[in-house]
Amino acid sequence: MIKRRTFLAGAGALAGFQQLNPDFFISSAFAQTGKPITFLSAENITGNWDPTAHTTLSQKIIEGFVMGFLARAPMRPDDPGEMVYELAESMELLDGSRLQIKLRDGVTFHDGHPFTSADVKATFEYGAQPDRPAQWYPGPTDSFEVTTPDDLTVIVDTSKGGYSASLFIFLAAYLPMISAKDIAEGPSGALTQRLNGTGPFRFSEQSGNDTVLTAFDGYFKGAPKVPGVTISFVGDATTRLLSMMNGQASIIERLEPEQIETLSGRDDIRISKLVSVENKYLWFRCSKPPFDNPLLRRAACHAIDRELIYEVLGESGHPSANFISPIKFGYIDLDNYPEYDPDECQRLLAEAGFPGGQGLPDLEYITSVGFYPKTKEYGEVITAMLQAQGFPVTLNVMEVAAWNENLYDRPGGGPGHMIDCGWSTGSPEPDLVLRTHFHSGSKRITGIVDAEIDEALDRQRSASSLEERERLLQTELTPMLADKAPALSLFTSVMVHAISADLDGLFLYPDGSMDASVATI
Amino acid sequence: MFLLGFLTRRLAQGAVIVLLVTFLIFTLLRVIPGDPVRLMVGGMAPDTLVEQIAEEMGLRDPIPVQFARYMSGVVQGDLGQSFVRPASGAAVGGAAFDDATRGERAQVLTLIAETAPYTIQLALLAMALALLVAVPIGVFAGLSPGRWPDRVALYLGSVFVSVPNFWLGIVLALVFSVQLGWLPAIGYENFAYTILPAIVLAVEIAPFIIRTLSVSVAQVMRESYIGAAAVRGLGQTRIIMAHALKNASVPLLNLLGVQFSLLLGGVLVVEFIFDYPGLGLLTINAVLQRDFPLIQGIAIVTSVAFVMINIFVDLLATMIDPRLEY
Repeated sequence: MIKRRTFLAGAGALAGFQQLNPDFFISSAFAQTGKPITFLSAENITGNWDPTAHTTLSQKIIEGFVMGFLARAPMRPDDPGEMVYELAESMELLDGSRLQIKLRDGVTFHDGHPFTSADVKATFEYGAQPDRPAQWYPGPTDSFEVTTPDDLTVIVDTSKGGYSASLFIFLAAYLPMISAKDIAEGPSGALTQRLNGTGPFRFSEQSGNDTVLTAFDGYFKGAPKVPGVTISFVGDATTRLLSMMNGQASIIERLEPEQIETLSGRDDIRISKLVSVENKYLWFRCSKPPFDNPLLRRAACHAIDRELIYEVLGESGHPSANFISPIKFGYIDLDNYPEYDPDECQRLLAEAGFPGGQGLPDLEYITSVGFYPKTKEYGEVITAMLQAQGFPVTLNVMEVAAWNENLYDRPGGGPGHMIDCGWSTGSPEPDLVLRTHFHSGSKRITGIVDAEIDEALDRQRSASSLEERERLLQTELTPMLADKAPALSLFTSVMVHAISADLDGLFLYPDGSMDASVATI
Repeated sequence: MFLLGFLTRRLAQGAVIVLLVTFLIFTLLRVIPGDPVRLMVGGMAPDTLVEQIAEEMGLRDPIPVQFARYMSGVVQGDLGQSFVRPASGAAVGGAAFDDATRGERAQVLTLIAETAPYTIQLALLAMALALLVAVPIGVFAGLSPGRWPDRVALYLGSVFVSVPNFWLGIVLALVFSVQLGWLPAIGYENFAYTILPAIVLAVEIAPFIIRTLSVSVAQVMRESYIGAAAVRGLGQTRIIMAHALKNASVPLLNLLGVQFSLLLGGVLVVEFIFDYPGLGLLTINAVLQRDFPLIQGIAIVTSVAFVMINIFVDLLATMIDPRLEY
């Protein structure tokens, strides 16, 4: 028998349940129409929004949405040198050392300020200052002069620096245009606090690990179709994968080979694979023994069978035989690129005074785990191959922060004897890799100081035409690098993204940058 | 008077514990390999610059001197600034220390205050779910020692305790988020994002509650006053609810205090898998970036929480059973 009190309590509970909004507890995990694009990044950003203050790829990707560029380089294998004008309407070499850039009229920054030649001049002069951490320019500020005959014309004169003005053409696809007003405010001004560009999305806020961008209605090509883009740093690859599968993420990057397999059968997700601008290298510490000896470096190169590395990488690696990616200007498969040749390895070891590897000190090969696909796995393969030829190598696998701490050259030589790292720059410009790593003025990881390489680098930089520069790159500089082997480029990365099938119109650049100005979801 | 004496004594003991924990963490961080200054200045900086900045920051002083300086700030409520995080709170890396344009660093206390509520919400929900499942199972097991409810409780507890949390997290996300689409799994936008990680944590906690409760209920049910209650004519439900459970709740209360404190400091893996923006995720990133002030701050806050929760639990236990002395 039901008591009156029990009945009333039950009825009250039922009425109360009907008043509850279950959405509070449970909401659909599936993507909704008209929502912003959600991109999950594998890498964190820096604490500084100044585009000249870092070389961090994840932040370059964010800049790709917000900032404007004079031109963009789609960098597809069939036409690696193609340039598509954006803020520029034309770029013309007046002579070997003068480049004239004509700008698009009617473009404004997100803060309402008009974009003019003064902004280009300020961007070039500020970015090339020697104290800027991102050293992308062919020379420091005092090596070139920028004049602005009118609001829409810029002339870059490199005669003071003695190099060709054509170097600024490919750089145009990589240098975000900064407002002269922001630069004038100095180090404590707005430049560090937020991004202010002319791109399709404006910087809204940084909330924890989420960078929130909203559509910029005044974008010169027309307002974007999606309301915004949210870029979130999610460090774990499985977490990113799950987000993609449950519809929370619109796009994720750097898929592992087995993740590609997991996602490829699904109708709601498509996989994008692009041969990227990023080569992965085994860098030798050239400023200290034993790899200050080029014979030993070449011996080590000949000990490595890159075919086995491709097998480990599966779809994440693309074969290449040069120090730059096949989609960079000047790429060619080098005839003298060191291939797997145990006999040649042993001959070089003996010539260097270490027959069979005898007498070599213990060697440390440093690699990372957690960022690049399969680094630990192919690091073990390389270690085994080197050991097989007599190199007393130990592999040291580090988490990303510790590896980053140990990455660069320093006085007396960087830590360890070899280290794994990739290098990716969103421009066809080869000097962004070659000069950065192999000129004694930079020698970022290898620490190499070699007058012959310096001269070859300077000669191709100073070539009077692109054709001449290409010839010097292919017949002089990169073959010389293959002989001296300050590093071994192992392969070119394939940039693999998973993209929600209902996200249309998104264009991916081979450095991971995206153009979502006409994307719909 | 009892309350005042109790609180004074326990808070003094707690302060000593927090001080010891802080000193231990402080010392360990400084003796393990990896120099945070190297991360701050950038890999290409010469060793001389690393040393110069380390000395300017006092990181080359003897550890007791550094600790005294740090504690003088802590007692004034200043846990210091993060070595690497900007005021926006983003997990960062890759910038150069000598870059004059770098943004301002975040206050450690602010970072903790922003993330702790998420972890407290997660811990409370996990605890509620664990109690919801474990209390009936534990009580039935305790009322039927040696019989099938007891065996079911034992097997279930064994299964729960054996399931790795990272595996369970991924499976739950695959089933409830990917396959069924009922719940979101990654990040945090509303309360629904807490449910799956809370279930994973509840599965971790439940076996301990089941075991504690079944043992203590079984023990209480053998007491003479339970038999006397039946003789007095009290019904079985009344005996269990008013007498057995009340007396069996003291060990459970102690267990819950410890478990809740552990949850606050130990949700690392679960928060990482679900990208849940609480103290656990903050701790993982701080460790990976060798962000000493942040790690120390989190250690202090969690140890203070541990001490305070245990004082509260002991106080509650003495109110339930006045014979207890802490």
